[in-house]
Amino acid sequence: MKPLRFAAGLAGAVLGTFGLGAVSIPSSPDLFLLFVADNARGGTVYRAMATGLVAGLLEDLLRTPPRLLGLHVFTKVLLGYLLATAETRFVVEKSSWAAGLLAGAVLVESLALALLLSLFRGEPLHWGGQEAVVRALLTAAAGSALAVLVRIPWRARFAARRRRRVR
Amino acid sequence: MPFVPFAGRRRLATLVLLLSGCVVALSLQVRRPGGQTVAEGWLLDVLGLGVRSVTGLREAVGALRERVSGRERLLARNDALESQVLQLERELSILRDAERERQRLLALYSAHPLAPPASRVARMVSLVTAGPFHSALLDRGRAEGLEVAGVVVGVHGLLGRVVGTGDQTARVQLLSDRLAAVGVLLPRSGRVAVARGSGTAGISVEYVPVVADVVAGDLVVTSGTDGIYPRDLPVGTIETVRKGGTSLFLELPVRLTAKPESETTVFVFPPLAPRESGSDPTSLLPAPRSSGRGSPARRAP
Repeated sequence: MKPLRFAAGLAGAVLGTFGLGAVSIPSSPDLFLLFVADNARGGTVYRAMATGLVAGLLEDLLRTPPRLLGLHVFTKVLLGYLLATAETRFVVEKSSWAAGLLAGAVLVESLALALLLSLFRGEPLHWGGQEAVVRALLTAAAGSALAVLVRIPWRARFAARRRRRVR
Repeated sequence: MPFVPFAGRRRLATLVLLLSGCVVALSLQVRRPGGQTVAEGWLLDVLGLGVRSVTGLREAVGALRERVSGRERLLARNDALESQVLQLERELSILRDAERERQRLLALYSAHPLAPPASRVARMVSLVTAGPFHSALLDRGRAEGLEVAGVVVGVHGLLGRVVGTGDQTARVQLLSDRLAAVGVLLPRSGRVAVARGSGTAGISVEYVPVVADVVAGDLVVTSGTDGIYPRDLPVGTIETVRKGGTSLFLELPVRLTAKPESETTVFVFPPLAPRESGSDPTSLLPAPRSSGRGSPARRAP
């Protein structure tokens, strides 16, 4: 785990979440989940779970109402484990597959959150509905976009451009 | 990729552990109908326990301190009371001794109301009756005015005479000593005789003819004829009357009235004055003091 990348990812998730909230977008992708998914790449389960732990804790501190510390830690650790396990079982090459995994993860998280809230707060079991689906789609889109961006050989392209300028 | 046994289970276990931690954390934060969360309740319980512990500890410390101080106080008081009790016991012992002494003296004075003024009271501190020679030791001596030939009398009768004096002690020859002798009188018959120490436990009256009127139980008192002992001091009673074969005299063992072992406080009368004209040397009344040397009393056994 590269600490700098980890910190940058975490900071990006926090800032992005707050930034998207500042522009009053009715629905936004789950950037913390993207952060976890990014660290789950390669199938490192412990790393994914540790990332889920940190991200979930931070998300709980920043977003969840008080007295529910651990709600997102639960879901993010679970998703980190599931995503890392999926990475080891399936070869996720296409960005569409990554998008599908992320969408499914968002839906699983919504379901888990509904379950936990119903269990601990006595609230009616509501898995999220349309809002969850939209969020899943947005997250999947963001995830696939990030996957594409990550797979682009940026260094080689910069080096080639540098070489062309030199010529 | 190297094969790691149980790696999957370990991961799953880690996941379960983390999720369980989350569940526990969440469950601790759930509000109960009373308005507080489980964690708050637990926290308050723990705090209450701590507060109770601190309060209990403080009370225990206070109680311990009070107990320690109370114990010290009690110990000091106990010491004081013990010393007081010791003092009181000592005083009580002294008072008991004094009372015992008073009773003895009362008994002595009531038994001998006509004791000479120069008489001394002494304690018989030692008794030596083993063998034929019987003697006793008094706790008074020359310093208290005791003289040789002083007459030692107990509550119940005659005991002996002083045969030696030191500054603080005096030695007494008991009547039962084999070499002791005393002039006696049998008041019922008016017969005068001599009693000698048997060297065992008593004395026997001698020189009483077989024709004399003597029966067992006859009283024996001093006659005063020996010049040593004053007259009318109780000596004992005739125990039995035996006729000794062809002897002209009776065998008359006497049971002494004064037992040396039971007489602790005794009178020591001054020695009798030598016989002078117009005076009765055997009287218990005081007589003018003079040197007793050469008197019959000194020649007595």
